[in-house]
Parts: sequence; C-alpha cells; structure tokens
Amino acid sequence: MAFPLRTGILAFLVVVAAPPATVAQQGTMPRAFELERRGNYEAAADAYREVLRRAPGDISALLGLERVLLPLNRSADILPEARAALATDPTSAALHAVALRAWAAADQPDSMRAVAERWARLVPGDEAPYREWGAAALAGRRREAALEAYRQGRKRLGRSDVLAAEMAQLAIADGDYATAAREWVPAVRRLPGYRITAVATLGHAPAIKRDEILRILSAEPDFTARRLESELRVKWGDPLGGLSSLERGLGPSRGQAVEALRALVDQLRMLRSPDALLAQGRALELIAARLPAEQASRVRLEAAQAYAAAGDRDAARKMLDGLADDRSTPSAVSSGAAGALVTVLIGEGKLSEAGRRLAELRPQMSGEEHAELRRSLVAAYVRQGELDRADSTLGRDSTIEGFALAGWIRLYRGDLKGAMGAFKSAGPYAGDRADATHRTMMLALLQPIEADSLPPLGAALLQLEQGDTTAAVAGLEGVAQRLPAAKGGAEIRLLAGRLSKARGDPELAERLYRAAASTDAPATAPAAELALAELLLDRQRTEDAIDQLEHLILTYPESALVPQARRTLDQARGAVPRT
Amino acid sequence: MKRREFVRHGVTGLAALAPGLPQLPWASRSAPWLLVPMDDAQSDHLKAYGLAFRLLERGGRAEWFLNYRGGAFLMPADGATSRDAALAGVTTEPLDDGRLVEIRGEIGGGNMDAVPLEKAPKVAVYAPPNAAPWDDAVTMALNYAGIKFQKIWDPEVVAQGLRSYDWLHLHHEDFTGQYSKFFLNYAGAPWLVEMVEQNRSMAKRLGFPSVPAEKQAVAVAIARYVERGGFLFAMCTATETLDLALAADGVDIAAAYADGSPMDPGATAAMRWDRALAFQGARLEMSPTIPVYSDIDGHQVNSPDRRQPLGSFTLFNFSAKIDPVATMLVQNHRQVIPDFYGLTTSFTRRRLKPSLTVLAEEPGAPWVKYIHGERGQGTWTFLGGHDPEDPQHQIGDAPTDLSLHPHSPGYRLILNNVLFPAAKKKELKT
Repeated sequence: MAFPLRTGILAFLVVVAAPPATVAQQGTMPRAFELERRGNYEAAADAYREVLRRAPGDISALLGLERVLLPLNRSADILPEARAALATDPTSAALHAVALRAWAAADQPDSMRAVAERWARLVPGDEAPYREWGAAALAGRRREAALEAYRQGRKRLGRSDVLAAEMAQLAIADGDYATAAREWVPAVRRLPGYRITAVATLGHAPAIKRDEILRILSAEPDFTARRLESELRVKWGDPLGGLSSLERGLGPSRGQAVEALRALVDQLRMLRSPDALLAQGRALELIAARLPAEQASRVRLEAAQAYAAAGDRDAARKMLDGLADDRSTPSAVSSGAAGALVTVLIGEGKLSEAGRRLAELRPQMSGEEHAELRRSLVAAYVRQGELDRADSTLGRDSTIEGFALAGWIRLYRGDLKGAMGAFKSAGPYAGDRADATHRTMMLALLQPIEADSLPPLGAALLQLEQGDTTAAVAGLEGVAQRLPAAKGGAEIRLLAGRLSKARGDPELAERLYRAAASTDAPATAPAAELALAELLLDRQRTEDAIDQLEHLILTYPESALVPQARRTLDQARGAVPRT
Repeated sequence: MKRREFVRHGVTGLAALAPGLPQLPWASRSAPWLLVPMDDAQSDHLKAYGLAFRLLERGGRAEWFLNYRGGAFLMPADGATSRDAALAGVTTEPLDDGRLVEIRGEIGGGNMDAVPLEKAPKVAVYAPPNAAPWDDAVTMALNYAGIKFQKIWDPEVVAQGLRSYDWLHLHHEDFTGQYSKFFLNYAGAPWLVEMVEQNRSMAKRLGFPSVPAEKQAVAVAIARYVERGGFLFAMCTATETLDLALAADGVDIAAAYADGSPMDPGATAAMRWDRALAFQGARLEMSPTIPVYSDIDGHQVNSPDRRQPLGSFTLFNFSAKIDPVATMLVQNHRQVIPDFYGLTTSFTRRRLKPSLTVLAEEPGAPWVKYIHGERGQGTWTFLGGHDPEDPQHQIGDAPTDLSLHPHSPGYRLILNNVLFPAAKKKELKT
C-alpha cells in the first residue's frame, strides 16, 4: 500500500518534535514487556529502570519493575525508584501503594507507617492509605500490623464502617466468623458488590459457629443483613428459612425485591431437595406478584412447575389456575401451563381428566412433549392396575422408554417372556439410572424361572408397585413355594425377605432369608446370607451376624459379595467405622 | 551406638511347630507353610499384621522375612491360620519345604534376613477414657488389623501400670498440659470444654496442683517405662510434647490458662534437653494463642505464617543382617510415601539428637519424618503426622475407614512397630 507523502512528512515532524525521552520510551517499554513475558526478569528490570530514569513518574514502568522484582525475590530493590516516583506526584494512590509494598518487602514497618501517614495527610478523609498499608502488611504476613493500619484508619477517619471488608477478611483468616459477620454487614451496605464475597467467606464457617453468625445478622435491622442471612441459610441447607429471612426484609421497592428474589431462585436452582423446590416455587410466586400481568404468567408457570416437583399440588394448581385457558396468556406459556396441569392431574390420580386434557393439547404441543406426558399417564394407569388402558394409551411407542413401559405392563400380566424381551429392548438408557437398575433387578429375578408365563408372580409384583407390600410378600412367598430353589424360588424368597424387612417385619424377613440361603441355589445363597447378616446386625445380634458372615466368606470364597461381606464383618467387629 | 540384634532363624524351629492340616475348603491340602507376601500381590497389607499377631497369640510362631517381597511373613499352614486368612482376605501362598529352602537361600544371599516372631506383645494405647476410637491412627490400625490392646490413661501410668505392657502407643496427647494449645482459639467448643474438665479433675484426683504438673509426671513415668525395656511408639503431637515435658524439669512452659502462671520468659534457655528422648536445643513458641509448641516441628501446620506445604517422605534402606531393628521398622511395599499433617508433622533436622536413627526423611527438606532411638533397656520410635490416609485432618472430620485403604504404606509403618516387639531378641554382639 502506498504511503501518502503528506502523512509521511507529518509523522516525521511529530517524531522530530517529540522530546527525546518519550521517543526512547516508545521503544523501551515494549521491549521491557516482551522481556517480562519471556520470563527474562533481570533484563526486564533493567529495561523498566531505563524508562524510569527518563520518566520517574511513569506508573506503568514502576508497576512493571515491581512485577519482575517479585520472582527475583528482590522486591525491596524498588525503593529508590518508588521514592523518585513519589517526588513527581506526591498524591498518587498507585505510587504510594508501590512504596508501601516496597517497605513491606524490605521488612521496614516503621517506614511503611510513615509513608501511609504522609499519604493520609495529603488525602484527608480517604481510606485508601490505610487500606493499602494494611494490604502491604498482609502481603508481608504481618497480621498485627495490618490490623493496626485498619484500626488507625477508622480512628483517624472517625467512622466505624470504613475498611469493614478488610477487617472482615482478616477476621475470616483468623477463624473469627462472628467478627467477620459484624464487619461484612457495613461493608456490603457501602458496596453491595461485596455480598457475594461475604456469603462465600462466611459460608465456610464450621457448623458450630453458624447459629452465632445468624444471630448477629438477624439483630441487624436492614435489608442488607436479611439478604446475607437468607443466602447463608440456603447455603447451609435451610432453603425455607432462607426464603423466610428474605421475605422479612422485602420493602416497597419492587425492583430491589425482584432482583433479590431472582438471585435467591438462582441459588435455589442448584439444590434439588423438596424444601428447595418448595422455596423456589414460593420465591417465584413472590416475583410474579410484583410483575405486570404479561410478565407474571411465565413466572407463575415456573412457580407451578417448582411446586409440582416439590409435591405441593395444591400450590401448583393455584399458580396454574386460569393460565392454561387464558387467551391473553402467550401461547408458549399457556401450553406449558396446560402440560403442567396434566402432570398435576396425574399426580392427583385424575387420569381420565388428564387423558382428556392431553388429547386436547395434542395440536399445541411438540411431539416429544406430548409423548412424555403420555408416558407419564401410562405409568399412572399401570400403578392403578388398569393394564389394558395403559396398553392402549401407550400404543405402538417404539422408543426405549416405550419398551420399558411395555415391559412392566407385560410383567404385571404375568407374561415373563414378553417382559424380559421388552426390558432387553429398552436397554440401560430408558429413564434414569434408578429405573435401569430396577429393570436389571427384575431381569435377574425372572431369568432363572423356566415358565414363560406366571400370572401369580405378575399379580404379586403389581401389588408391590401399588404399595401393598403385605399382599405382595404373601403372593411372592406363594409363588416361591411352587418353584425349585435354583429355578427362581430362592430369588423370589430373597426379594420377599427384603420387602418384609423394609415393611418392618424382621421375623418374617429372617425366615425368608434363611430359606433363600439354600445351598441348592448357589447363585442366590451368598446374597441371602449377606442380607441375613445385615438384618441380624440391625437387630443387635452381632455374634449371630458374625457367624453368618464367616459362613458366607468360607463357603462361597469365589462370590463377588465376599468383599462386601468382609467389610460388613469389619463393621460388626468394630474394626472400621459404620457408615 | 549400640543396637539390639536379632537371631537369624533356621527352618527347624518352625517346622517342629507345624500342625497337621485339617481338610477344610480354605486350607491348603498339601503345603505345610503359608507365605504371606507383602508386596503388590497382597490384597490386604494391614490385616496381614493382624494375622501374624493372632497366630502368636494362639501360641504359634511365625517368621518375618525382612526385605523379601515387601517384608513377607512365613506361617504354618494350620487350619486356624488358613481360616483366619480367608476371613480377613489376606493373600497367602502355599509353600512346600523345597520352595522354602530356595527362599532361605535367596534371603541368605541378599540384603534380607529372617526374624522369628515368638510372642504377641501386650499392647497399651494411652488415651482418655472418652476418646473416640476413630481419632487415633494407631487405634484405627489395631482395630482394623484385629490386634487386641488395652486403653490406659493417667491413673494407670502414674500407678506404674505400664509395667504390664510390652508396647505403648501415644498419639495426640499434649504432655505440656495445654490442651493442644486450642484453649483460646476454640473456647466454648463442647469437645474442648469436656477435655479441660476431664484433665483438671484427673490432675486434682491424682494430687497435682495443675494439669501441666500432672502431665509432666506422666511423661516422666513413660520415659522410665522405656528405660526399663518398654517399646514406645508415638505419633503426632505426643512426640514433641513428650520431649518438651521431659526437658522442662522445673521450667514453666505452660500458658497461664493451663496452670495459672504465664510461661517463663526464659524457658527456651532453661530447658534440660539431656532428659529428652529425641530432641535438643529447641526454641519454644511463647504465644499462648498460636497452636505451636516449638521449632521441633518442621511444618507448623497451625501457624499460617510458618506453615509449610506437604511433600513426600522416603524410607531409608538399612542392612537387614546388621541393622534388623531399623529394617523391621521400615518394611514396606513403597519407598516413597505422601506426607500427612499433624499438630506435629515432622522433626526439624537441627533439633535432633545425634544418637538417634532417622528412618525416613523428605529429601532436601530441613525436616525428617520418622525416627528411632534407645533409652536404657528400651526403645522409642516417633512418627510425625496424625493420619496417613487423611493428610489434612481437621477436627470433626469423618473418621478414616481403613477398609478403603488396605494397602496404606503409611499405616504399615505403624503396624511394623506393633510387631517389632514380637521379634526374638539375642544378646548383644558388640
């Protein structure tokens, strides 16, 4: 590209007219940066010094020199340059900070103090000299000197709320969480951006200190303290308490309240406990109440979904009322609301109404959303024992989730072969990990059974699905009596034993486990013996449990359960802690 | 320095004791011996020590093959031992006489030795009655390995009860009587309140004017136990504070909260280090608020300004035939072990007495980790740090579950010390 003559002449004149030092610096500073970047700190220090000789007040060069002297372990060598720089600009905060750090590196606390006090006289009313003095002392690991700097600052400035963040961080380093809590409140009041640091540092307080911190915060009257209290409660596992603290502090300012509630919802979204979901629903409801109608509908939908996930169907319904059918509601929100309403109806067992609503929704929903709700409805029909309706609602669903549901329907009808085929087609990826494990357990139960069809077993398992454990155990025991131990009898007894234990009938569980621990069923016996030993331990029959575990280990040394048996044996003997 | 030596053992002693083998599924049907490998073939290194200990308790004998396959054990393949190994999950290898002769030849030709183990030592652990079993690495190791022990505390020690035991373990006891110097920083914590109350009432009950005075008397009794032939193993802060208490004869080294009077400002100069077991010339920490006792500890974990990062320590190699004691104490399947903090983590080299033996060090660092020495007829071994598998242990942490660490090389060091007193002694050659 051609270089215009006029521009070339102008550039030449500017270079000629510029002072010699500036011209030289223009070359030296980039060279110093490059040397520093390459890790050649000695040469970089020389280059920065060269710049400072010509322009002692060049803050970039001074800071560069400070950076490169640190890895050379010669931080104190900057003192002459720092003094010269201060002479050019006696009020510069940045230059004073460098000087303070240099005196700290030189282990000269009296000089640090003198520099800070001189600076403070130049800028009365400014807390920066004390903050930098304290920071430099801390960099030199002088905690007491830092504390003195901050106290001095408060005294001279005549205000107890200055330097509060610094005092709080110092208290945190000492493990003094109560003082830190008292200091963080004024610090956050002055600069709300400190809130995140305050919560992060106080959040690490050991459990024993937490009540005291919360007491200190709750004694403070304003919104700042309420918000800190709220976020800490959530962090420490009390989401409803956290919400309640925040609610107490919410004032008339709609913007402030919505911002605080949204931050809380973000924090709650990290948690999946029912309480956290409930708090999330409630916080969203509070937000919706503070928003104009058109914005509120989406938030109400989110609140309904959170309430539904928390199991509070009444609250969910309350949020959804009107949303699904309101023509003024945006279509995405109304279809989401209708979907959430179907979920609520399924949860309430109103399956016919849920089916009707779902059919109406078909044109508004994506295929995937509709299929997901349909499968929820199928699962609900299965739980109610309406296997034909479940089957017809499922239709020809060829997804892996569909195969999994078909497997359960066939199993409960007693079609063992069909169930196994469907479960195998579903594979390990349908549903979540617990679903996959449940199907695998069923496959393990069914595989030793030779019959293709066994309706009494399906009926017993359906009773189990419906929550009638007593009937299920009786049914399973009846089925087991008709099967040889190695052909499913032992496995079914083991399942019945586990159910009996969970139901709180240890005597029956013990009898069933002992029957399952048959040497005729070597594939099942180790699991039955381990289950029996654990039951005996729960019943404080430690010696019997130890005998049982020793029997298992010595009789089935090749069993994959032996390591678990040894661990349980260690626990029974008190050789390792019980977890 | 004099060193106790151990007899090298022939095959005949154990062979005479090998019982007939019952026909049990877990027992070897042909080989008369079981080799318990302690290299990477072992499935549970820690329980292997318990297997050896219980064999000795039953009146049986074993041999410790120093430096052979990580410090393997030879045991008779009797029914009880085979059953015990199967239950504990300890790997054993059946061995016939021919193979045993080959192994002995290998041992004879290398830096290895065979040490007979004859009698299970009577083990005592010094701990307050309410101490949780999970707050002491040795108690955890003994429980996990299945080695029986008795808990004793100040009344038993002061009443000369140590005489009944061959082996004594100390852990994070503060023999300066200052409650680990947590008194000010943890004021009000329930566990500290309980500890203070328990110690004060014990000092009163035993007729001492203060806890520091009582703990010093306990320290002196422990030193006498060693002089009379006892085996002492100490970890964590018990190492440093035991020596401080012994050296502080007539010097007030305790803060005012412990004994009502402030620490003697000239305490550092007044210490009588000739009374201490391991350390000399240490500089004491004068501040009652800093939970550090002296510059004996190299890592200073509770002083943020002085705290040093953790590295790894290396076990020394000793000549098995010339130095069997040190060799026994460092038997391991790993030479380099990750370090772990304790109130006392390590021992500064310049504070060590020249007569002791360094068993493990961090190369290039100014501290060592594991030391051993003699006093009178007995021996002492100090290992710095609190829990080899919980390197940053904090008060209130979940207990370590050793079933998750069955190959822990750090815990092996502890268990080497428990078996070491079982080794057969021989009169000194030199």
